Amino acid sequence: MIDVGFSLPVSRERKDALYEFLSQRYMMIALTVLPVFLLFTLILAFPILWAVGASFHDIHAFDPEWTWVGVENYVHYLFADSVFWESLGLSAAFAVVSVTLHVTIGTAVALLLNYTFPYKKFVSAVLFLPFLIPTAILGFGVGYMMNSTFGIVNWTLVDLGILETTRPWFGNPDTALYVVAAVNSWKFYALVTIMVYARLQSIPKEHYETAKIMGANAWERFRDITLPNLRGVLFLVILLDGIWMFFKFDIIWILTGDGPSDSTRISVIYAYQIAFERTALGDAAAISVLLFLIVGAGALTYFYVLEPEEEVRAE
Amino acid sequence: MSLDTDTDDANATIMDYRGNIPLWRHLRYRHRRLLRRSILYIGIAMVTMAILLPVLWMLVSAVRPISEIITRNPSLLPSTVTVEHFSTLFFDSRFPIYLRNTVIVTVGVVFMATTAATLGGYGLTRIDIPFKRTFARGVLFTYMFPPVLLAIPMYILWSNIGMINTYLGLILAITARVLPFSLWLMWKFFLNVPYSLEESAQMAGATRFQAFKDVALPMAKPGIIAVAILAFAFAWGDYTMALILMTDLDMYVITTGIEASFFAGGQIQWGLVLAGSAVALLPPLVFVYFLQKYYVHGMSAGGAL
Repeated sequence: MIDVGFSLPVSRERKDALYEFLSQRYMMIALTVLPVFLLFTLILAFPILWAVGASFHDIHAFDPEWTWVGVENYVHYLFADSVFWESLGLSAAFAVVSVTLHVTIGTAVALLLNYTFPYKKFVSAVLFLPFLIPTAILGFGVGYMMNSTFGIVNWTLVDLGILETTRPWFGNPDTALYVVAAVNSWKFYALVTIMVYARLQSIPKEHYETAKIMGANAWERFRDITLPNLRGVLFLVILLDGIWMFFKFDIIWILTGDGPSDSTRISVIYAYQIAFERTALGDAAAISVLLFLIVGAGALTYFYVLEPEEEVRAE
Repeated sequence: MSLDTDTDDANATIMDYRGNIPLWRHLRYRHRRLLRRSILYIGIAMVTMAILLPVLWMLVSAVRPISEIITRNPSLLPSTVTVEHFSTLFFDSRFPIYLRNTVIVTVGVVFMATTAATLGGYGLTRIDIPFKRTFARGVLFTYMFPPVLLAIPMYILWSNIGMINTYLGLILAITARVLPFSLWLMWKFFLNVPYSLEESAQMAGATRFQAFKDVALPMAKPGIIAVAILAFAFAWGDYTMALILMTDLDMYVITTGIEASFFAGGQIQWGLVLAGSAVALLPPLVFVYFLQKYYVHGMSAGGAL
């Protein structure tokens, strides 16, 4: 399939016969869809079904015995565990703050990129760079730069007169979660920029020219041409980013863990702790399935009400 | 660019459609142009700095002597440049092992995810298979299962079949995170590549397989690049899956390794953390510098699908 720059000494007839053989319908299916189907079954469908099965059992990590407990795990977390509901609220807060920041910053940057200016290729590469930077490395760097005794961020703010004294950004239970969300936006705004920028480039230029001839000013052109065109992609990116941020784990775990007085113990961290600190795998599986159902229901409703996919097409 | 009003501004009417002369129009044309350009350049410069400064600060801090790392407000340029942290990192710590593990896993994930998504995307759009829409939707639906928590059933499964602490185990786990989105991207991508080209190749005597290999694949290049970048970003930056599935210190990747080795024991070894982070930052920086063209193109193609 890949042109390696030389050809094996195979006669033309045998090569043709091989291509003929590979072109048969069942061979094409085996070559194309089968690998992805097998991967899907092995690494996605099977573990998820396994988790559903496990959620009805009591399982401990170092004990091979599975004890059937029926829906007890679900009943416990839905009705008898206020921490679960608190964690769900924190997850939602984190997702809402993150998505708001990402969409605002991401769209603004995409609009800037849509102009022409010198070194544009390089600048756009830089602006998409955070997408490639490991979230954990961002976490280590932020831990260093926002340190309360020697962090550059703290001292710059003090020197500028914005802060009176340095503060431990991740130690305040009222704001820790939102500081992490803001830090995380340094990386994930790029997701919005990528999708919005691509959509902006596919808006026909004649639309703007016509509007200008009709006397529309810059704001009116933005409101009546740019925004309606971005509607679909923004709805889609809000959905994807929302799911992503609802399940965000790495940056929060690295910067605050479950936070000062559990203020950043979002659902996935709670489930992680249940699984690996309390070693109650059945309980953790039940939480996973609950989150799956909650997010799945939310996403499907969103998807069918707003139909974002219908409007996302390359033109 | 249509939004760039510099070129056609001279032809625009002075009055807006209500007959008012906006304040903006009282400026001379070249002053307006200058002002508009300045705002644009200041905006661009600000966001670019917001990305580059933290990265630069981390890279520079990695060559500072330790006394300067943990004191207040040193200048941007270090007083003395030291490679001490890097030599400790490479000759006196487990970091080279972590780096090797990360490279192996990244190559594996990029290969596996790109191949599977490209072939699958082609098959789902071109070949008549029963239930293929249901299958594609099903793959996308798994996107709604929390990735961290996907690792819990994987942890149970992998430990039953002895795949904890193996490269293949982690490669499969990260591929599981990339697969739904990348398959969806390639599916959309092939929907937008017209089938008529392959049909005409087949009418000209090419077999179905040749039409796929010589016509469809080259046209899918931007999509393939986008998926490869996505897979690279996920695999190189993975922390979560490695945290759960790699429990042996010799199988840790850079992200979990830095945390396990240099944050442990109460005292954070900032010199080593920064040097390790600098090494982890290098491939993305090289990517952006040398592969800009593919990166920007691949990224915007990724969004357009």
